[in-house]
Amino acid sequence: MDLISLYPTWYEPMVGSGWVVALIATFHVLASHTSVGAALLFAYLSHKAYREDREDLLDFIKKYGLFLLVFTYVAGSITGPGIWYSTTVASPNGIGALIHSFVWKWATEWVFFVIEVVGVYMIVYLVGRVDKKTHMKISVIFGMASLATMVIIVGILSFMMLPGKEAWFEEGGYLNGFYGTNTFIQLGMRMAFMFTMTAVVGGIVVAGIKDPAFKKEMARKLGWLGIISTLIGAAMFQWYLTSVPSQALLVMENRLPDYFVPSIMAVLAGTLAYFIITMLRPQVLVQGFAGAMTVIILVAGLWPEETARESMRKPYVAGQYVYSNQVIARDVPGMDIQSQLPTIEKVGILKAHPFTPEHLREVNDGNMIQTGEFIAMTYCSNCHSPSETGIRPLHRYFPDNITQERMEKYVKGVLTTGNIAYMPKMPMIDSEVKALSAYLLLNNQGGSEAVKVAIQEEVATRDRALAEKQASDKVAALSLPQEVK
Amino acid sequence: MDAQQIAQVTEMMYALRNPAGIPTYPIIFIGLGVLTFALHILFVQLMLGTSAIAIFGAFNNNSYWRRLGSAMLEISKVSVSVAIVVGVAPLLFVQVIYDPHWYTSNVLSAFWVIAFIVILILAYWAMYYFYFVNSKNKDKTVQPKARWSILLSIALMLVVGFIMHSLTSAMLHPEQWKEWFVPNGVADYSGSKLHAYNLWRFAFFISMAIPVTGAMLVTYRRFKSVREDADHAYLNWASEVGKKWIKVGSVISAVLYVAWMMTLPETAGNFATSFWGIAGGVAVIAFALWAQIRLQGEAKLCSYMALPMALVIGLVVAISREMLRYGIINDTFHYDFMDYKIVMDWYSTGLFFLTFAIVGGSVLSYFLTIAWKTGQTVGVYTPSPLVNKMGTIAIWIVALWLVQFFVVGFYIWAK
Repeated sequence: MDLISLYPTWYEPMVGSGWVVALIATFHVLASHTSVGAALLFAYLSHKAYREDREDLLDFIKKYGLFLLVFTYVAGSITGPGIWYSTTVASPNGIGALIHSFVWKWATEWVFFVIEVVGVYMIVYLVGRVDKKTHMKISVIFGMASLATMVIIVGILSFMMLPGKEAWFEEGGYLNGFYGTNTFIQLGMRMAFMFTMTAVVGGIVVAGIKDPAFKKEMARKLGWLGIISTLIGAAMFQWYLTSVPSQALLVMENRLPDYFVPSIMAVLAGTLAYFIITMLRPQVLVQGFAGAMTVIILVAGLWPEETARESMRKPYVAGQYVYSNQVIARDVPGMDIQSQLPTIEKVGILKAHPFTPEHLREVNDGNMIQTGEFIAMTYCSNCHSPSETGIRPLHRYFPDNITQERMEKYVKGVLTTGNIAYMPKMPMIDSEVKALSAYLLLNNQGGSEAVKVAIQEEVATRDRALAEKQASDKVAALSLPQEVK
Repeated sequence: MDAQQIAQVTEMMYALRNPAGIPTYPIIFIGLGVLTFALHILFVQLMLGTSAIAIFGAFNNNSYWRRLGSAMLEISKVSVSVAIVVGVAPLLFVQVIYDPHWYTSNVLSAFWVIAFIVILILAYWAMYYFYFVNSKNKDKTVQPKARWSILLSIALMLVVGFIMHSLTSAMLHPEQWKEWFVPNGVADYSGSKLHAYNLWRFAFFISMAIPVTGAMLVTYRRFKSVREDADHAYLNWASEVGKKWIKVGSVISAVLYVAWMMTLPETAGNFATSFWGIAGGVAVIAFALWAQIRLQGEAKLCSYMALPMALVIGLVVAISREMLRYGIINDTFHYDFMDYKIVMDWYSTGLFFLTFAIVGGSVLSYFLTIAWKTGQTVGVYTPSPLVNKMGTIAIWIVALWLVQFFVVGFYIWAK
C-alpha cells in the first residue's frame, strides 16, 4: 500500500487549531522573553549590588524575581511544552520535522532549563541568606543560562522559516540546518525585544517601590533599557525582512491583515512614549498603567507579530519542505527524505492517508460529503476553518451562487496544481475533486449544519443498506440447508 | 485479531514515522527517556505527597502536622517546577522514538491535550495562592487561610496526571486508533474524548507518592537536625511518620502494581509473569524491607539514602513500564523502534552529552552546594574559598559554552 505519514486531523470549530497554537505561543513568547531579559538584568543589578553594597537592588531583584516566578516561570515553563502539545495536535508533522532534526538541540536547551529553574528559586529565596558576592555569581550564571535557552531556540525557530543554509537540502546536517543569516538576525531582533518586554513588565514591580528616589532610579534604568532596545529591535525587524524568502514577503504584502503594519507601528510608538513618560514622571508609574502596557504589547504587538511569522512561512510549516497541511512537499536528499506528492498523485489522498476509514477509501454517491469533508479536513482545515468562525473560514472564499461545475474547475485547476503561491499543491484524483467540491459547495450554501445533516443521511443510507444485506444474507443462509435437504 | 489485521496496523505505524530519521542510535533515546521519566515521576510523586501533607496539616489541629504541612508546601511548589522541567525530557524523547504512537494518541484526544496546559497552570497558581495567603504569617501552627485553594490544586494536579496517563495508555492500542477516530463509521475530528485508561496503573503511580514522600520526611529530619535551632522532638516525629509512610505506602503500591499487572491488555502477552513484570513489583516491596532494616535509630547515612533509594526503585518501575510498551508494540504489533532510520549527527549528539556532563554538572554542583549549605545555616551563609571557586569555574564554563555557540555558528555561516 502507498501510505504516507499523515495523522488524524484535529479540528477546533470556534477559533481553529492554528489560532490555538498562536494563542499559546504568543503567551509563551511574552513569558519566556521577559524571563530571559530579566535574568540578564538581574545579573547586572546583582553585580552592581555587590560592587556598591546595596540592599535595595537585591530587594528589587527579589520582588521582580518572585513576580516572574509566579507569572512567567509557572506559565512560561508550562506553555513552553504547551507549544509542543498544541503543535503536536495541530501540526504533528511540522513539530515532528523539528524534533527529529533538532532533538539534541532541545535536549541541550533542557540542561539550561534545569539550571534556570533551580537558579530562579535561588536568586529569589537566597537574597539576604547568602553574601552578595555569592548572589552575584548565581545571578550571572542564571543570566547566561537563560540567554543560552534563547540562542538555542532561535535556531530552531529560524529553521521553521527556512533551513540555515541552502546546502542543508543536499548535505543535511544539524549545523547547516541551524545556523544561517536568518538565525543571527532573528536572534538580534528577539534579544532587543526581550529587553523591551523586561522593561515593560518590570514597570509593574517598579510601580510598587515606596522610596521615590529609588523608584526614579529604577524607572530611568528600565526606561533607557526599553527605549534603546525598542529602537534596535525596530531596526532589526527591518533587517530581518531581508533574510526571509521572497515568498514570505509576498505573503506579507498580500495576505496579512490591513491592521498589521499600523498596529506594529502604533505599539512601537506607544512603547517609546510610555518609557519617556515613566522616565520623566516616575510617579505616574502605577501597577495598573504598567499592567495595561503589558497587555497592550501582548495583544497589539506580539499577537500580530507571531501570527505574521506563522503566515509568512506558507505554504510550508517547517524547513521549506513540510506543507502546512502536513504533507512532505519536496525531496531533501541530505536527509534521505522523499516528497509525498508523487504518491498522492498516483493513488489519491484518500488511499494515501493511513487513517482513511475503509468505507471512505473510494468516493461514491453514498459517501460524497463524508469523503469531501475528510479531504477538506486533511488538506484545508489547518489554515481555513470549515466553520462560520475561526481562522480564514472557507466559506468566505467562494461566491454564494457558485455551482458544482465551477467549484470542480477551481479545485482541479488551482488547488491540485498548486497555482496559488502561498498555498500547498493538493493532488487529488478526479473522484476526490468531485467529492471535495461537493463538500465545499454544501458548506458554502448551508454551513456546517447542512454538512452534518448530509453526513447523517449518508450514514443512515449506508446502515440501511448494510442491514438489508445482512438480512438477505441471513435468508440465504436459512434457505441453503433446505435446498440441501 | 488475525495476522492480516496486525499487518495493517504494523504498516500504518511504520508509515507514520517521521522521514527525517533520528540523529543517533535509538537505544540512547530510550535510555535517556527511561532515566528522565524516573526523575520526572519522582518529583510528581513528591509534589503530590507533600501537597497531601500540606492539606492534612491545614485541616488538622495538631501543631506538628501544621508545621510539617507548611514546610512540605515549600517542597511541593519547588517539586512542581522541577517535575515540569524534568518532564520536558521524556516528552522530547518519546516523540523521537514513538512519534507515530504519541502523536496519534495526542491528536485523538486533542481537546484534553490543550486542557492539560490550562489545568496545570491553574493548579500551580492555586498552590501559589495558598502559599502567598499564608506565607506572611510567621506562626506556622495557626490554621491556614484559603484551604480550598490547596485542595483545588491537588485535585487539578490529579486531573492532569490522569490526562497524561490516558494519552500514554492510548499509545499502547494502535489496533483501536482507527475506531477511535471513526466511531461507528463517522469521523470525529473533535479530539474530545480520552480513549484509554487503566485505573490500577494510574492508582499505582499515584500511590507511590506515599513511600516517596516518606523518604522525603526521613531526609527532612536528617537535613534540618544539624541546624543550631533544630527542634529535635518535632523532627524525630516527622521522621517516624516518614518511616511509616515508606513501609505502609510500599505495601499499598505493591498491591496496586499486582492489580495493574493482572489487568494488562491481551496484547501484553505474558508480561506480568516475565522478569521485568515481576521486577517492578519486587522493587516496590523491597523499599519497605530496606526501610525496616536500614532506617533504625539515627540512621545518619541511610536517612540521606532514602530519596536516592526511591529513585532507584522508580527507575526499576520505569524500565518495567518501558519493557511493557516494547512488548506490546514490538512483540504483538511488530513495530521495532530499534530499526528507526538513523541520520547520524555526531556534532549535536556530542554537544548535548558534553553540555549535560560539564555545564550541567559544574553549575548544578555549585547551585546545590550553596542551597544545601544555606539550608543548614542560621543567618547569612558565606561560602568557603573552595565553593567560591566552584562558582567561578561554573561561570567560565557557561561563558565558554556561549562563546563556542557563536564561534561555530559564525564559522558555518561564513563558510
